[in-house]
Amino acid sequence: MRILVCIKQVPESESPILIDDKNAWIQSDEISEFRMNRLDEFALEEAVLIKEAFSETRIDAISAGPGRSTEVIKRSIGMGADVGIHIATESEGYHSSFEIAAWIADYARGKPYDLILTGAMSEDNMQGQVGPMIAKRLALPCATAVIFEKIASDKKTIYIEREIEGGNRDTLELQLPAVLTIQSGINTPRYPSLSNLLRANKLELEKIPAKDLAQFASHENLVQMVYPQKSRLSTVLKGTEEEKAMQLVHILRERALLI
Amino acid sequence: MRNSILVIAEHADGRVRPATYELITFAKKLQATESLAIRVLILGAEILHLAKEIAHVSGLEVWGFEIPHMPDYNGELYNKVLTEHLRGAPPAYLCIAHTSQGADFAPSLAVELNGACISGIEDILPAEDGICFVRPLYGGKAVAHIRPISKSAVLTIQPGLFKPSQPTTEKSGNVAVHPVSIKPQWWRSLGVKQLTTDTAGITEADVIVAAGQGFRDKDNLALAHQMASIFIKSTVAGSRVVCDLGWLEYGSQVGVTGATVSPRLYIACGISGAIQHVTGMRGAEFIVAINKDPAAAIFQVADICVVADLITFIPTLIESYQKIKAASQGLRPNGIVGIME
Repeated sequence: MRILVCIKQVPESESPILIDDKNAWIQSDEISEFRMNRLDEFALEEAVLIKEAFSETRIDAISAGPGRSTEVIKRSIGMGADVGIHIATESEGYHSSFEIAAWIADYARGKPYDLILTGAMSEDNMQGQVGPMIAKRLALPCATAVIFEKIASDKKTIYIEREIEGGNRDTLELQLPAVLTIQSGINTPRYPSLSNLLRANKLELEKIPAKDLAQFASHENLVQMVYPQKSRLSTVLKGTEEEKAMQLVHILRERALLI
Repeated sequence: MRNSILVIAEHADGRVRPATYELITFAKKLQATESLAIRVLILGAEILHLAKEIAHVSGLEVWGFEIPHMPDYNGELYNKVLTEHLRGAPPAYLCIAHTSQGADFAPSLAVELNGACISGIEDILPAEDGICFVRPLYGGKAVAHIRPISKSAVLTIQPGLFKPSQPTTEKSGNVAVHPVSIKPQWWRSLGVKQLTTDTAGITEADVIVAAGQGFRDKDNLALAHQMASIFIKSTVAGSRVVCDLGWLEYGSQVGVTGATVSPRLYIACGISGAIQHVTGMRGAEFIVAINKDPAAAIFQVADICVVADLITFIPTLIESYQKIKAASQGLRPNGIVGIME
């Protein structure tokens, strides 16, 4: 089998997000730590599990982004991907799902992938659009929020459970090749192995400038970015840890929430 | 159909989902700025009574596609039927619920219609140079105002934010249901599997101590239990991440894919506050958030914010509580212990 896994580099979730002076984008140079989108780790792990179950499986890991994105591609190889592909954008800044899906679909077109996997969404943009959009461009079946999958022994179909509201599951069978977006909790992503990481460091990544791939103008403008509005008072307690604790106990006792 | 607002109704188990009426509220808010006609479209098997109900409640025109034997959701059928129907003259705005169904078919529909796709919308901002839609980024730490610049825009709307439309006093809208003969080629539905996760423990509690990734290690979860023990009728719940990690059972998960809770007190400990979690707990009467990241999105929905590392703060809090309690009891004659215990 041949599997393409789409991965994204995102800021470490505890990194502060600062918006630039023009309210145009975040100050990405202020972010000290980036890592692999957590949901993409589940997608990659699922591919590695398939590789362990079906011999002669090859996993390609692909990521679109600026130069720093190569770190997560190398991490994918550390986790068990065979080949890394970097769609290089020229700078930092926002690219719509429309553009990214068009690039990845353009790369994948004509290549014999049986499965294309993505995380169910990215932690930064939170849209969950790229997977279904790739599927549409390649005219492939697609299912989102996949929490269980099993490929039939003839490798022609795949049994899928999608997570739906309330934790229930919609079950279905798709024809292969197909695109799946993977939900968290489907597996336990492994840590990269040392031997694979050493291999990753030696391995040359395939680098494709984004401008050489299909270009689609974005259909939406990011007018501005702002900090969220508070929906409640959001009173911040001040002082030492002990002073904060004392204040909190008093507040909860006043409201008879604590006796 | 161009120059109209089209709402795609969501239904399951022979009932119109509340999300449908939230979409109608959203569409009416959009209409206030854009003055376009609103229509509702519903597809599935045996949908005539659902179409009539929507037309009756909303006063809007409802179109239906009756597809014999179709399950509640089939991604391929939604895509094919909607594409076929809308390709010629796409509406200006398509309003779809940001649910497991809507999020599944909306993006590919946007590609098909060559339109904008804006997901998880939380609000509308009318502006002179064109309407903007508000959606969260970076786990809710930032908010983007996005303006579609294409003729057609596919919008998915976050459930739980727009009040479901109330029954109208206007006369019922027209209903037109057309039979469609179509069978899926590549998506074979095999039915919905009900997982019996018992969420009674967290939906019935007065006080919820909710644990997030901030606990860093399963062993530290003991702190959450210790904190819960100082409250009456309390329990420990968790975020998706904590349940995925196996620190808590899925029955204890609060959020879109878990339980929706509305306790008297919700203490979010080490929870970042992504919309998927907030949707499940924003109805709590009083919310306290403890997080060491001062920019965590959870603070936006909290009444009281404590910026601290919970690993040291929780023991300090319990100690403070015991001190204060002992001091107040000391004032009572005979040192009577609180009768509530």
